[in-house]
Amino acid sequence: MTNALTVAGKPQAGADLLRIVRINEEIKAVVGVAFKINIMALNAIFLAKRAGTTALGFGVLSNELRVFSQDLRTCMGSLTDLIHRCVNEVSLVLQDIRHTKLLRDAVDLSANPAGQAILQRREAGNAEHRSRLGALRRQLQRSLEDAFRLVELGGVLAKSAKIEAAYGQAFAGPLAQVSGEFDGIVEEIRNSLQALRRSAFFSDQ
Amino acid sequence: MKKTNVIYQDGDHKWVAIVRDPERPGHLVDTNEYLVTHGGAGILLDPGGAEVFPAVFSALSSEFDPTALSAVFASHQDPDICSSLALWLEFNPGMRCYVSWLWSSFVPHFGGTAETFACIPDEGMEISLNGLQLQAVPAHYLHSSGNFHLYDRQAKILFSGDVGAALLPADQDGLFVENFDAHIKHAEGFHRRWMGSNEAKRRWCERVAQMDIDMLCPQHGAIYRGADVHRFISWFDDLQVGIVGS
Repeated sequence: MTNALTVAGKPQAGADLLRIVRINEEIKAVVGVAFKINIMALNAIFLAKRAGTTALGFGVLSNELRVFSQDLRTCMGSLTDLIHRCVNEVSLVLQDIRHTKLLRDAVDLSANPAGQAILQRREAGNAEHRSRLGALRRQLQRSLEDAFRLVELGGVLAKSAKIEAAYGQAFAGPLAQVSGEFDGIVEEIRNSLQALRRSAFFSDQ
Repeated sequence: MKKTNVIYQDGDHKWVAIVRDPERPGHLVDTNEYLVTHGGAGILLDPGGAEVFPAVFSALSSEFDPTALSAVFASHQDPDICSSLALWLEFNPGMRCYVSWLWSSFVPHFGGTAETFACIPDEGMEISLNGLQLQAVPAHYLHSSGNFHLYDRQAKILFSGDVGAALLPADQDGLFVENFDAHIKHAEGFHRRWMGSNEAKRRWCERVAQMDIDMLCPQHGAIYRGADVHRFISWFDDLQVGIVGS
């Protein structure tokens, strides 16, 4: 049977739950990396101070990268919150599927006159849960886009730090190494978020 | 579909046994549900698991308006006893669920709100069904640590939950025990393994031996009636329980 709760006969909610779990795992990985950027940025600030006036620009950028890592963690925190709400709604939808099937079987077997009204009430409840899940899905997608834009900014900061590192004179080598690591990590986060944007959780609705 | 059998009737006071589902998947234990009606109100005893809800609901509907169920009685907390609770509540959100206080925060995982549950204290209580007094009789540790049976002194029927249960072969689907000696072989292993306390068993036997019982209705297997009721109580009294293996 195929209806609004199923896709090609398979419960979509079950597939959604797996997709949410994967998204959550990816977000946890990004949070871990964002924390790493924070530590790296602190080290970079100290390095820039030691380098003195030749690394003033690098120091400013390192500070901005530190702010970026904090913003990213806040952003990921709100994504995690949305994920938890999605899990809650998907669980309700899964429960709806089982209950509705059992209720429908009961009503079909008994031909109880009250049954159709109960089923309709249950379907209305199901529709409400699906609608709430749909709204959360869109909200999560928008938040991911926000996170992606933030990471694009982080990428610009990392690339600017690479340029600034070239003016570091005696410290140019260590500064280039740190800014290269920044760039690599931000790129890693960017790839993770891009994969999340392509999740079937957003396309297979 | 399950069969309904009226096992007692006096005017509008009825006991209906809902038993044996030939279409039940083999991996689910067979269960008996009992409907007690009085004055247009009904209480369903051990309403069953969610998976058997369609069969129980349709059988019950053939005898009684399910929206007129005022309560369910859950002898204990197991899923085959009351995991269908949320589905029954769809038909009557105001329905109460009588259950041991011990499980009053566990059974809500099957459904219901804070208002759904009526907690039975350890010593038992009287439950009124539109003027008919039913007695929740303590049967703790047989097998659940918070366990009750339900006695209808007017009908002289004791609903005994898992006590008296038998896991019968598919070809033995009679409603009543016809040959006690042959039947009890299917009950022995169950009672030895599922019942955990000889002391609790002794107290229960002493308590129910003093009751006037025409029928003892377990949640699994056939119903004991007449002399077989006391035959069962004596047999159970002599049985050593809480034993794994032979």
